Amino acid sequence: MRTLILMILLSLNPSAMAANPMTGGITYSQDQIRDIGFEISYELRCPMSINQNLFDSQAPIANELKAQIFLMLEQGESKEAIIEFLVQRYGEKIKYQPSFSAATAMLWFGPLFLLLIIIAVAAMLIREQHKHQRTNGNSYE
Amino acid sequence: MIPELGLILLIISTVSSLLLAIIPLVALYTKNHYLFSYVKTLTGLMTLTITASILCLLISFITDDFSVAYVANHSSTQLALLYKVAAVWGSHEGSMLFWVVAIAIWGCIIVFSSKYRDRLFIGRLIAILASVIAGFNLFMLFTSNPFARLLPNFPIEGRDLNPILQDIGLIFHPPLLFLGYVGLTVTFAAAIAALLGGKLTRTHASYLRPWVLLAWVFLTGGNAFGSWWAYNELGWGGWWFWDPVENASFIPWLVATALLHSVVLSHRRDSFKVTTLLLCLLAFSLSLLGTFLVRSGIVQSVHAFASDPTRGMSILFLLGVFVCGALTLFALKANQIKSELNFTLVSRDSVILLGNIVLVVAAISVLLGTFYPLLFELLDIGTLSVGAPYFNSIFIPLTFMAVLLMGAAPLISWKREKFSALRPLIVLFIIALAIAETLSMLTGSGFNVWLFLGATSATWLLLCLAYLLFRLRHQGIEGLARKSAMIIAHLGVAISIIGATSVSNFEQQELLRMGPAQGKVVAGYTFVYEDTVNVDEKSYTAIQANIRVTDTNDNFIGYITPQRQTFKTNAMEVSKAGIMRNIFRDLYVSSGLQLSDTEYLIRISYKPLACWIWLGGLLMMLGGTIAALTGLYRLRVQKAAASNSNPIATRIEGLA
Repeated sequence: MRTLILMILLSLNPSAMAANPMTGGITYSQDQIRDIGFEISYELRCPMSINQNLFDSQAPIANELKAQIFLMLEQGESKEAIIEFLVQRYGEKIKYQPSFSAATAMLWFGPLFLLLIIIAVAAMLIREQHKHQRTNGNSYE
Repeated sequence: MIPELGLILLIISTVSSLLLAIIPLVALYTKNHYLFSYVKTLTGLMTLTITASILCLLISFITDDFSVAYVANHSSTQLALLYKVAAVWGSHEGSMLFWVVAIAIWGCIIVFSSKYRDRLFIGRLIAILASVIAGFNLFMLFTSNPFARLLPNFPIEGRDLNPILQDIGLIFHPPLLFLGYVGLTVTFAAAIAALLGGKLTRTHASYLRPWVLLAWVFLTGGNAFGSWWAYNELGWGGWWFWDPVENASFIPWLVATALLHSVVLSHRRDSFKVTTLLLCLLAFSLSLLGTFLVRSGIVQSVHAFASDPTRGMSILFLLGVFVCGALTLFALKANQIKSELNFTLVSRDSVILLGNIVLVVAAISVLLGTFYPLLFELLDIGTLSVGAPYFNSIFIPLTFMAVLLMGAAPLISWKREKFSALRPLIVLFIIALAIAETLSMLTGSGFNVWLFLGATSATWLLLCLAYLLFRLRHQGIEGLARKSAMIIAHLGVAISIIGATSVSNFEQQELLRMGPAQGKVVAGYTFVYEDTVNVDEKSYTAIQANIRVTDTNDNFIGYITPQRQTFKTNAMEVSKAGIMRNIFRDLYVSSGLQLSDTEYLIRISYKPLACWIWLGGLLMMLGGTIAALTGLYRLRVQKAAASNSNPIATRIEGLA
């Protein structure tokens, strides 16, 4: 049944839109619904298959969730609200982009931190060596 | 009989590799030149026996000897001969054997080549290589013997090779990747040899340089070909998924790229030797870690074909032994290695150093993202996924930084550069920004930071290369030839960035139900579903959709024929995309679920400049190959020059 809904929505049938009452308050054009729907399904992980996003996955549940996403977009929900809704149902693991928290701080700031540290250490070592070479050079003179 | 012979040969090579791991070191320690003369014999014996051993496995495959478990599980009487050959490295045991054989052959070439005149260094190197070979041989013999028998009840027809692997990709992708790892093993051995000797001279760096380049060329090929294969075969049109298995081969590539630039510094400027050595150790450790990740099945991946948790521990053990040993040695010896560091902040040296730092940070970030979910589960904090959105938001800015440095480096002189020389670079950068800004305005969908970064970096790199060519115009053909490898490889990077940016930002796609006589317009092309036909091939049957494509002017340009293939041996279903390519765009159609009697879920996609991604990879490989061959040629010329000037010394060395 859900697959059927998906198919109706995918064929971008205007009557489907009329049948669903607006609840979220945003009006999207059909092209926007398609683009945002694809975007969301790229960012979420299929709960069934091995490391595939909803868009790529062909598992039945992935099709149901895609249908759900399109349905909610038709109802005028925002992208954030839809993702939030699915996270509540399926847990944090469904998001390929982990949200920022104390536990993921290292994930998000680690690279920048590392870059700065390595550059600082390299600069220090080089400066020290320069100094060393210079004093050695002087002692010969 | 043949498999037993293979096993015995494997055991002989293990024994000779154990001897080879010890004898040169003892010879060097006791200064016993007589012992040293065994090096060539043992290397020859080890290489011959292990090569013969893999030939035994190959013969078992060709003769359909299904009493051998590995053959029975990865071949069948129906399999085409080419895939029977490729199946040798198609799964765990065989690929390990292939890897070891390649290490042995590469080591053997080095030992028997007269180009490398520092025999003490080569002796240490082969001892380390032999110990790696011994480690992996023992691992094979005890946990994953490729010659294990399946008696008495063996499958008469064979269980067949995994259908997804029955593709031209299997013939190129794994060997290229393994050869890349093998190259990194050789550079690892060279680094340990240098550490044991307490020095990395320019001669050593001149040996190391072509090896690093070759390893990098193979790794580039392995990654590019793997991505191309996934694009064609996995059926849903992505070319890079940031899947753990992809990352496992991409991380060593990033470090190898840093290493290859560092070794140039060590060779040309006699500097950054400790960095070069550390990168050698890091690249090898990360390739082993990648192997562990893929083979242990510890991560979930769409590309895992040979995972088994029991093997994980053994690989982890090998990893621990090699990495801990190497790092301990590094800690003890690194301070003996002295480098010349005479450059100022504005110089090619410092730009390359900074670029290498960015590359290493990128590698570690990808590693962090790959391991984070695992870490989370081990610490029992919860579960999470780290995927494409995260990796893109970390990796693209780092790539941008690396590309800025990459464009500038060849335009700045070694050692010391005047600030005024940076002026043309600033002008070029402003032009690049302007072009990128115009481009993102033209597309009209508002400011997109990813598009902007991609466009700026590609334009900047191309402008820098053009300016470099302009400056080289007086230097004649020789000046150009000397830089050709770098120019081609850097051009390759620009081409790949253009392809990736274009596909990620300008792809147009539709997902819809389609059956006979239905049509859809995507990006000006009209796709009409004409009919569905059944195709019967040797190893699979398929439902094929014939989709007629016409362009904007209604000219017929061809048929796209995506298939749903069902394999005869194990009834596994895969979807094979239909792709119509030219240099400017790919038209990509794949067919999914059957939705009604006649209709299927069809994905149609217009991917502008898609093939540039891999074209760039080929250019990088070409540039790397030119540089590697030049390096090897130079070594030969040096040898000839040296032997002309001092024939007696060479003869004595030859005897030793």
